[in-house]
Amino acid sequence: MTAGGVRLAGALEAQRERLLPCVHCGFCLPACPTYNRLGDENDSPRGRLHLMQAVVEGRLDASSDAFQTHIDRCLGCRACEPVCPSGVEYGTLLELAREAAAEARPPDMLTRSLLVVMGSRPLRGMLFIGGRALRATGIAGWAVRHLGGDGVAGTLRFALAMLAATTEAERLGRPDASAVGVAPTTDLSGAMDAGSPETVPNGEREVQAGSVGVLQGCVQDGLYGRLNEATARTLDVNGFNVRIVTRQDCCGALHAHGGDLRTARRLARQNIEAFERAGVDWVVVNAAGCGAAMKDYGVLFEGDPMEARASAFAERVRDVTELLAAVGPRRGAPVTCSVAYDHPCHLMHAQGVTSEPLQVLDAVPGVEVRVVAKADECCGGAGIYGMTHPDLGAHIGGDKVAAVRDTRADLVCTPNPGCMMQIGAGLRIEGSCGDVVHPVELLDHSYQRAGYYR
Amino acid sequence: MTLVHELRSALPDVAVRDPSELGGPIWPGMTPEFVASPSSTEDVSRLLVWAAQEDLGVLAVASGSHADPVSDGRFVALDTSLLSGIEEYEPADLTITAGAGTRFATVDDALRENGQWAPFDPPAARDRSMGGLVSEAAHGSLWAGYGALKNHVLGATVVTGDGRVLRLGGKVVKNVAGYDLLRSVVGGRGRLCVLTSVCLRAFPLPPQERVLMISAASVAELIDSALAVGTAPVLPVSIVVAGPLEALDGRAALVVRLHGAESTVDADQAILETHVGTSFDRLTEASDGAARILSQLQDLGAVEDRCVEVSVLPSQLSGVVSAAADVGLGPMVVDSYAGRIRIGGSDLGVDPVGTLREAAEQAGGALRIVRWGRADFPTGTPQSMATAMLSERLESIFDPGGVLWPARS
Amino acid sequence: MATPRELTISSVMTQTLTPTIADRLRAIVGQNHVITHPDRLVAYESDGLTAYRVVPRAVVLPETTEQVSRVLAVLHGEGIDVVPRGAGTGLSGGALPTPDGVIVGTARMNRILSIDEQDRLATAQPGVINARLTEATAPYGLYYAPDPSSQSACTLGGNVAENSGGPHCLKYGVTSRYVTGLTVVLADGEVVRFGGAGTEAVPSLDLVGLFIGSEGCFGIATEIEVRLLPAPEGVRTLLGIFDTMEAAGRAVTDIMASGLMPAAVEIVDHATIVAVEASVFAAGYPIDAGAALVIEFDGTEAGLDDDADRAEQCCVAADAREVRRATSEEERLGLWKGRKKAFGAMGRIAPDLLVQDATVPRTRLPEVLARITEIGQEYDLKIANVFHAGDGNLHPNILFDRQNADELDRVEKASREIMSLCVSVGGTITGEHGVGVDKRGYMPLVHNEVELEMLRRARWVFDPNGNLNPGKVLP
Repeated sequence: MTAGGVRLAGALEAQRERLLPCVHCGFCLPACPTYNRLGDENDSPRGRLHLMQAVVEGRLDASSDAFQTHIDRCLGCRACEPVCPSGVEYGTLLELAREAAAEARPPDMLTRSLLVVMGSRPLRGMLFIGGRALRATGIAGWAVRHLGGDGVAGTLRFALAMLAATTEAERLGRPDASAVGVAPTTDLSGAMDAGSPETVPNGEREVQAGSVGVLQGCVQDGLYGRLNEATARTLDVNGFNVRIVTRQDCCGALHAHGGDLRTARRLARQNIEAFERAGVDWVVVNAAGCGAAMKDYGVLFEGDPMEARASAFAERVRDVTELLAAVGPRRGAPVTCSVAYDHPCHLMHAQGVTSEPLQVLDAVPGVEVRVVAKADECCGGAGIYGMTHPDLGAHIGGDKVAAVRDTRADLVCTPNPGCMMQIGAGLRIEGSCGDVVHPVELLDHSYQRAGYYR
Repeated sequence: MTLVHELRSALPDVAVRDPSELGGPIWPGMTPEFVASPSSTEDVSRLLVWAAQEDLGVLAVASGSHADPVSDGRFVALDTSLLSGIEEYEPADLTITAGAGTRFATVDDALRENGQWAPFDPPAARDRSMGGLVSEAAHGSLWAGYGALKNHVLGATVVTGDGRVLRLGGKVVKNVAGYDLLRSVVGGRGRLCVLTSVCLRAFPLPPQERVLMISAASVAELIDSALAVGTAPVLPVSIVVAGPLEALDGRAALVVRLHGAESTVDADQAILETHVGTSFDRLTEASDGAARILSQLQDLGAVEDRCVEVSVLPSQLSGVVSAAADVGLGPMVVDSYAGRIRIGGSDLGVDPVGTLREAAEQAGGALRIVRWGRADFPTGTPQSMATAMLSERLESIFDPGGVLWPARS
Repeated sequence: MATPRELTISSVMTQTLTPTIADRLRAIVGQNHVITHPDRLVAYESDGLTAYRVVPRAVVLPETTEQVSRVLAVLHGEGIDVVPRGAGTGLSGGALPTPDGVIVGTARMNRILSIDEQDRLATAQPGVINARLTEATAPYGLYYAPDPSSQSACTLGGNVAENSGGPHCLKYGVTSRYVTGLTVVLADGEVVRFGGAGTEAVPSLDLVGLFIGSEGCFGIATEIEVRLLPAPEGVRTLLGIFDTMEAAGRAVTDIMASGLMPAAVEIVDHATIVAVEASVFAAGYPIDAGAALVIEFDGTEAGLDDDADRAEQCCVAADAREVRRATSEEERLGLWKGRKKAFGAMGRIAPDLLVQDATVPRTRLPEVLARITEIGQEYDLKIANVFHAGDGNLHPNILFDRQNADELDRVEKASREIMSLCVSVGGTITGEHGVGVDKRGYMPLVHNEVELEMLRRARWVFDPNGNLNPGKVLP
């Protein structure tokens, strides 16, 4: 058995409670986006668990093509978890398998570089400065329209499309903009006129809902600064005491998913310490992937002296929509538009958060929510899946984009930057205007119009 | 020694009659060597083995049988009427087992005494034997609500052409361990084996039956309404159009049955009437007219000398019904849910039936001859080469010596 | 995850497919849809029954009837065995590979080919998930009635192979009642059409009926035509809690005798209640109860409350401790939870779980259950029962640890005794899971040698060379 196999074996043995319940019933197969498209059981959750088991038993090498390919090909969407009758914690097992796979055979250059950059604040700072500059010039958008879809050009095009997708939705940025959104023919300029709030604002909330620190994150901080600001502002309006938490870092989800659990733990420790120092009641996250990872910090440190602290930390992690929904968000001014709503996997499947983002949208008068068909299925975002698995990523992403377009809504709305980039990129590559917003952005916009921020 | 004497000495327990002891011929123009009436499965087995040795064909027959035999030559009529009686009935289990020669009336009465019934109502069912009903897969008008007869046959004891005794299925609802050979026997028309005992699934009698009707001058005029009933959000247990009916002075009727509690059938009727856009007359058992309409509808095709049956998709019924009317075929009963048309009459002609067959086949359906007599026999829709080949192989494993004379279909 | 017991067939070395044959198969189904690398075949070594493991020689994933036909023709020509596989959810090992056989999987044949609203028919490929058909027909107000407990994952092709039932087949009947026609590829690749709605008058033997439940031994169904029903307007669900199993049994008998036609009647026994309530799936059933009875009615809204009232009276008359009634979909799921999550809950309290399946005449249930309890005590095994009470289909779940060789031996002995018991009271060795590989040994309990020989010949009718799913069904 290889070192990776031994490690995985040890890790899985330690996770016996988690792995044992898999009775091979197959309920997870139809929930899996890769199995649904490829039909190969190696690309199903049950198949991957079986591969892990085979590695543990020493029947399969962790460096084998089979293990590497099929573990790598998992989107990590965890749609298999809610349908599992035995409650197998697939996400946790996948991270262990990824670690074993990465140790047995280093991941590809693109993934490795990304993990290095994201794990280092100065490096990712530089990356995002470049990104923002590129975005501002409009070169990204231009390139998306002119680059070919194959090979390196295709990968580059997808990356640029993702970058372009992080642009603030034209509609929300410029209320007089017309002909935007998924249905470009709809003229909604009138609808976007600032009007008086439908209901009288319920005044400054005096209630103190608790103190919160916002996870700044990596991508959010680098490309979605406006989302972090919106998160802080809307929480403030709803009675939360928003504190600045310094010396926090990337949540480590990308590293955990990529099999680099060591870096993931380093980053997690940094965050735990930072938020402990700040002494906040809640750690609030506006990216589903980060929230899911942080709620699992306890598991990440299982058997480690940090475990108790990590678990206590994880208990305090909340998605921003959870906190807002819990207090019943204050209503803002109308924003008349229809939105195609899609559930992020890491919110719905990993955190069990489904109705809360919709409750946030309910607080914005005039928003008509159209839930995308198969909204519970992964958009194919999954980090940089579109770049590492161009064919399958495009297939999965294409299905999502088609479902989004079928809603004929003005905007796409989904509470996770990763999904926002993926769906936005898909729409842009198709030539549609890919305006994608986070529910909190929409709420923020509504609050701005209502004058709550004066 | 004559054959009869040989049989009597070989199988002393089997009652044997000379054909001359019968009131008349069993089939026009055909006379069996003799009629044997075994009273046990074992004797059926022995009789079949003996017949094979004597190079005699065997044609199973029971009371009320209307089958046309297929073969020519010397044969024994195997009368199943002594394989009679209810063998096992546990009302709480909702299953009943009876000998294949048992009249359905016997079974039906036993069930009804216990507030139960077997929900299929083929023409003249009460006078027919259990074995005959099963081997013909006879069905009536309750297909929509309860499915075909094959869904109600849980098990059977059969004797293969070479005398092997097989117990197929069982006496529980989900009963198949291994391949479901029982399915090929139900509707097998005696091609594969002789049934000696049958186990049926029983149902509790519905708390209420409501019979609804609308009438019109002809069957064709009622097909659209019948199809509308068939696409309503509630599914009646029976949707049948029949005509011309003497009880209605030659008019046709669409008869719809609902089963359930009073409140349920009230609501179902309202839903149907809204969906179809017509209100129905309610037929009550008590009224004499209703009883006559229902009995004519029930037995149409059962009493006539000739009977053919067409199957098509329900959506294709209109065209085929018109085609039948155009060539003067009738009277007919149409189960619009099952897409089946039964046409009976003593004067059905070969040519009109041929025309109807063409119309049915063009609509993707089929026609078969249920009963005809021996002269100038029209042909029904044949099965495909592939299924014929498989059927032949199946016959060869059940009746390797080709002893059994199946009924024509 | 269950670890395998030593099995004679698993020790046979799997042969690899020669490159020539693999290439011919790839030319038919595409480069990526033939799996031959041993590492990638491991995932296919079991279906839903993990007690057996056999790595197949290859896996082929065709997409169309024509591809299935060509694949089978190649394999038939080479004399290679074929094991059909759907989603691999079966619990009798029906899709267990053979060491020198090739799996032909229907995972990519997952398209619904047509929905005919007027005639209420749908035609689907075999890899379509059961529940997806109902989802697809819901916009027409229609649904597909057979609802095996695994309906969210199992395929229509698998349902045809096993003649699947489900909780609601008490009222609606099993798969064979709904399948009207099949396109089947025979072992040699010949494509044949059985039945078809509208062609009932063709004087054929009921080959559709014979094919259904043939567990992959007669051919591969590549197009399945099924009848759809109008979706019921409403549903009412009751949960009766009883002190004893006997009392619950009386309630069921009364309900069935009263002329009511429940859509489902399900019972979980005391041991199951304890297991569920101790798990993360706790459903709020009282842990000292002897049995919990779930009764469901569906149909026209207007009559449902009456039905539910009458069923409740039956429960009360049978000394139910309490009767709960669901008023919302959420509550309904709550009442069902203890039943639906039973297997998952038991999967978590013991390393291994054997889900047995047998039927008995309904009135014999109480005595059979009492005897099963005794058998459990005799062999020192924990046995919990879940069953479809309406049709006498019971699922004794035996909890054990495979690492314990002695216990494994006792599980096998107890299983055999339970099967003999069920047969002795007039039942049979499988209700809905099929014989597969697991119950071949029990076949002589229900069939004598003459009948077994007849089943062998039936297989010959469809597959004279015996290449399709060998080693299944027949002992």
